[in-house]
Amino acid sequence: MPEVNPKQVWKLQFEGAWPTSVAFLGPGRVAAGNRDGQIFVWDLTDQPAAGPAEGESDAKDKKDDEGANVPPVRRLDGHTNGISHLVSTNDGKLLVSASLDHTVRIWESDASATGNADVVLDRTTRERESKRLPQDKRQEFLDRPGVAVETQDAAAVLKGHADWVNSLGISRSGQRLISGDARSNVIVWDLEERKELSRWAGHSWNGIVAAALSPDGQTALVSEYTYKRDDFDLPAPGLKVWNVADAAQKLDILKVHIPKFDDQATTYGAASVWRKFIKGGLITVDYSPDGSLVAVGQGGETDTGQVHLFEAETGKLVRTVSGHKYGVCDVRFTTDGKHVLSSGRDTTVRICQVADGKEVAALGKGRGGQFKDWMHGIAISPDAKMVAAADIAGFVHVWQVWA
Amino acid sequence: MNWGSLFNSASAADEVQKQQKRCILLWMNGGVSQFETFDMKPGRPTGGQFRPVSTNLPGTQVCELLPKISQNMDKLAVIRSMRTSQVDHPGGIHLMHTGYASTANIRFPEMGAVVSKYLGQERSDLPNFIKVFPHFNSGAGFLGPKYLPFSLSPEGRLPTFATSSMKSHIEARRNGLRSFVEDVYAREHKAEIARAHREAYQSARRLQNVHKVFNIDDEWDSNRELYGDSAFGRRCLLARRLIEEGVPFVEVGQSSYDSHADNFVWHRSLLPPMEHAWVGLITDLEQRGLLDNTLIVWMGEIGRTPRINNRSGRDHYVRSWSTALAGCGVKGGLVYGASDEDGADVKDDPVTEGDFFATIYQALGIDPETEHYNGVRPIPIAPFGSEVVEDILA
Repeated sequence: MPEVNPKQVWKLQFEGAWPTSVAFLGPGRVAAGNRDGQIFVWDLTDQPAAGPAEGESDAKDKKDDEGANVPPVRRLDGHTNGISHLVSTNDGKLLVSASLDHTVRIWESDASATGNADVVLDRTTRERESKRLPQDKRQEFLDRPGVAVETQDAAAVLKGHADWVNSLGISRSGQRLISGDARSNVIVWDLEERKELSRWAGHSWNGIVAAALSPDGQTALVSEYTYKRDDFDLPAPGLKVWNVADAAQKLDILKVHIPKFDDQATTYGAASVWRKFIKGGLITVDYSPDGSLVAVGQGGETDTGQVHLFEAETGKLVRTVSGHKYGVCDVRFTTDGKHVLSSGRDTTVRICQVADGKEVAALGKGRGGQFKDWMHGIAISPDAKMVAAADIAGFVHVWQVWA
Repeated sequence: MNWGSLFNSASAADEVQKQQKRCILLWMNGGVSQFETFDMKPGRPTGGQFRPVSTNLPGTQVCELLPKISQNMDKLAVIRSMRTSQVDHPGGIHLMHTGYASTANIRFPEMGAVVSKYLGQERSDLPNFIKVFPHFNSGAGFLGPKYLPFSLSPEGRLPTFATSSMKSHIEARRNGLRSFVEDVYAREHKAEIARAHREAYQSARRLQNVHKVFNIDDEWDSNRELYGDSAFGRRCLLARRLIEEGVPFVEVGQSSYDSHADNFVWHRSLLPPMEHAWVGLITDLEQRGLLDNTLIVWMGEIGRTPRINNRSGRDHYVRSWSTALAGCGVKGGLVYGASDEDGADVKDDPVTEGDFFATIYQALGIDPETEHYNGVRPIPIAPFGSEVVEDILA
């Protein structure tokens, strides 16, 4: 893989509710979802334009090196609560979204539009700028048209969950999906047939907070977690590898790594055995492209959120890398498996070498007061050149990282 | 000089005691969010990530995290218009335990101490004011040490001083010697503290007679499903046992609601076991015929902000928040007061901490205007100017 040499190319405006997730649809398009359940698609095939897009406000603090903004081309309609994750097939033909509205939706990227809409994606900027206007001009300023987009409905709605769908993963072949919900149910889906292949449940006191399929789609890594039920009632988390075909547990990684781990105990003392290793929950996971390693990110609001790398077959800890102040939000291996990327609550995306754990780049920089804005979901383009990240301040950042 | 416990009519307390009323305070320490419980704002920027569900009270919705409560709203009076004065934890906890803001000059008694004074039994083997997993101890204040709370661990275990490993005849001899020494000291010093110490010691000794009440293991398996398999569920079962044995005031704590970060994730974990236990407690009391005389108070010290911060959290807020009452003559199926469309302020029928305490005392048959004296200053048990929310009481 070429040397890491990041340069921000795009800074796409997506204000309103927090952008949570992002996915590439081929090398030239990117989709992002937010906490209101909105999903937009941007076409990035043209060279970045100078200055703001027509109809959109120029951010006051915009700098030349922050990348250009263009309006989205399409809005994907249907979700009624926040988007937790977006994934896509490598050919960019399918986008899959998981939502707190209990559904997983499949979107075909070459589908015809179902309508048109005027959308406002600079609401926060408008509200800030309107305060400089005379009172009688403010509402008119706020209500001015946004940008025109096409709308699209989902090709399929997968309804196997009865609670928040917190986690979503896709096999490298794009044939299988895995989704997990807040009631601890896990479903593996045949993406082409759009039907369940397998289903199992974790402990009833936990929710599924992260799930990933091995490259061949035969095994799954699933992370279970719940926040404490009070200071003296702390259910144990889970990090397990499962056989997809028969829904049988194959490996309990926490039991491998923490000999005294008791998955049935909820006492303060029992939690002290695993708390340092888990921190605010292992809320994001990914398989390396060859399936030999798994990356697991420490989430929640913690002092330093790191990424554990385990051997997928044995559960042996290989090393712990990265270091986000206040926790990790998302983790991804690069397509060659040489780097692992993590986004976090310090407004950064960090790129570390898998071989030695060395951090080779940090994209973005801390923004906010004592507690920084989060860089939420991340995605790597299929051509392995670009990295996109959902920024809760209302942006989708796209960097060219590899030439 | 403290005249707090002298200037009260013993006959008034006797009269109240005859009613056999009890109170359980479910204390949500840290400040549970009104937006994630009883005052949702779906579709508003302040609404958050949970969705409302219908209840057995037509036209009323609560958070989806309260499915069991949603089907028991006919037993609750929910107040959506709390407006209180202390926005930080120490101040809020003091305020919502005593009805008064903390001051340097006066030590106000907690609600439990007041209830203990008026509804407690003088020579009971069990304490009259028990806290299971306490988060604060303002204690009896000017009412005096007789009405201090007796605190249990988060697991509901008795403190070590309440149990004895000695054989009973040895313990009796030791107690005789201790009493002798104490009698000599009391004769020579005429000190109030000696009398208070003796009473406290005797209370601790009497606990030996009733220590089995605190061991819920014999009942837990058959009640696990009713109360939910959680620490809070076990505490609530213990509270029922104590109430059944005549303890007039039991506080049951659940910690960790101070969700400045990850408000939604935290409430998702905290509320299900809480509401399961709460409904279990209501059901159990009702089935045993105790709910008509037992007031269940549900509250924390503060509410949480309409604004969701960049930590996915909600901060402290007291301009508009929610509490709930059940049992003991409280009207079920009632939602009192309202906040505005974003939950930023009370729109209708504000309820202050004083009003809330006055209503609780009234429900328990204790006149909220009852005065005690701190020196020469009269102090009513609910602050001057407080008004009972009569609409809540049957």
